[in-house]
Amino acid sequence: MTFHGLEDVWRRESSHVLGALLRRHGDYGDCEDAAQEALLAAVDQWPREGVPDNPRGWLIRVAWRRLVDRQRARVARERRELTDGRAERGDDPAALPGPGEHAPEDRDDSLRLLLMCCHQSLSRPSQVALTLRAVAGLSVEQIAAAYLVPPRTMTQRLTRARAALRDAGARFAMPTPDDLPARVAAVLDVCHLVFNEGYTRTSGDRLVDTDLAEEGLRLTRLLHAALPDHDEVTGALALMLLTHARTAARTDEAGDLVPLRDQDRRLWDRAMVAEGVALLERVLPRGHVGRYQLQAAIAAVHAEAPTWPDTDWPQIALLYAMLHDVAPGPAVTLNRAVAVAMARTPDDGLALVDGLLDDPAMRRHHRTHAVRAHLLEMAGDPEAALPAYREAARLTASQPEQRYLNAQAERLGGEG
Amino acid sequence: MKYVILIHSNPQPWGHPTGDYVAEAQALPAEQRARMDHDFDLLLKELHANGELVSGEALGAPSASRLYRWDADRTPVATDGPYSESKEHLAGFFLIDVETQERAEEIAARFSGPGETIELRPTMWPGGDEE
Repeated sequence: MTFHGLEDVWRRESSHVLGALLRRHGDYGDCEDAAQEALLAAVDQWPREGVPDNPRGWLIRVAWRRLVDRQRARVARERRELTDGRAERGDDPAALPGPGEHAPEDRDDSLRLLLMCCHQSLSRPSQVALTLRAVAGLSVEQIAAAYLVPPRTMTQRLTRARAALRDAGARFAMPTPDDLPARVAAVLDVCHLVFNEGYTRTSGDRLVDTDLAEEGLRLTRLLHAALPDHDEVTGALALMLLTHARTAARTDEAGDLVPLRDQDRRLWDRAMVAEGVALLERVLPRGHVGRYQLQAAIAAVHAEAPTWPDTDWPQIALLYAMLHDVAPGPAVTLNRAVAVAMARTPDDGLALVDGLLDDPAMRRHHRTHAVRAHLLEMAGDPEAALPAYREAARLTASQPEQRYLNAQAERLGGEG
Repeated sequence: MKYVILIHSNPQPWGHPTGDYVAEAQALPAEQRARMDHDFDLLLKELHANGELVSGEALGAPSASRLYRWDADRTPVATDGPYSESKEHLAGFFLIDVETQERAEEIAARFSGPGETIELRPTMWPGGDEE
């Protein structure tokens, strides 16, 4: 078996192996170490002896044996070290697995694992790193490369995450019904962050073999499979599908960013659009409408429009107004301003943008000026649009956006 | 989001940590300087432990620089530093990777000290928003 064949098996099975161990032994760090040892054993044995009929069962059994061995060694050591014979780590030696106890059975624990990785005691970057490691089964090197940081930095985030889980006494259990909504919301935000990190890349991802957009989508599918009736999970999956469908159209041959209004819509992935729309049609009539469903609904209106001008702008403006009620924020106001400008007049859109200019943080944000420039141009005022494009180009930290905004300024007659 | 924290300073003589060689810092009571050193140490430990610190380097004296510029024949010509005659020079840098601009600003403020200028600059990234 090739290494890549084994990697595929591992990517598919690692979260199940980890989940099976965690169900019986609470410490995440211990379980991850044991799962890694099982992987190493597979790398050693499978090429020689062939892949077992039930790879998952094999991995769980071997990992469990390693975990039991480790625990026994540790208890023996702690007994020697502590005069009063009491284990310090809070493990009750009597509760440790006995030699005859067999490995835990396989059961789908994806949701518990996701909830544990996105535990409230962890910082957002730690939640992201741990989810990619434990649920997506990526190596530390792959995660580090995907986030363009050295493996050492990513190792620190993971070490910190394991320690925080231990300190918080995080359990591999379902939260109480009262806590569940907030915990699922955190998982959803992590999935969306991973997706966005990948999706908003243009040229950078050519250097990286891990596609974070695919990973984010995969994680959300997993969450959706565990909670098929959850409105916002369904909405987030629909949003990602409808967004990911545009991938082929969002960069040109040179690798430069193509804004939505200039995209060649024939390149959109229609199967993905259809899947996203179907999910949305199932969930929207249920009543409760959250931010992911609204964003997905907006993406669906775009997906069904033949061109930018022929888009149902009054509908999009309405959806942004609803999104503003549910999850207000400057990004929502800016997108709403564009929709209002298209549905009514550019001046109506500009009135919304001008409100943001009073906020010092938004005055320093490139998108405020980029949207303003675009709307000023629509309003027939290129003299005012030019400096706004310039200001937006100066403020953005995105290379493709900077090239695009500088090109707009040049088109309006600015110095190159 | 990645940012560099640039330390602009003029230690006399050139040395690190720069605060030990800057007159404004040297003028402070020993107790206060010890507390500042301690706080800075804690800050570095914190950034290292939570995976926000990507890398950092203290730089050699500007007089140790070699500068390369093209002459009229488009040939690189090397001269000795410093790059500019300004009072402060680039003395070191840290690369951080943080969640928000607010967090970057909070960290940068903690790098500041008497007689020095701390510059926080975002790094450019290869992605972008399509809307």
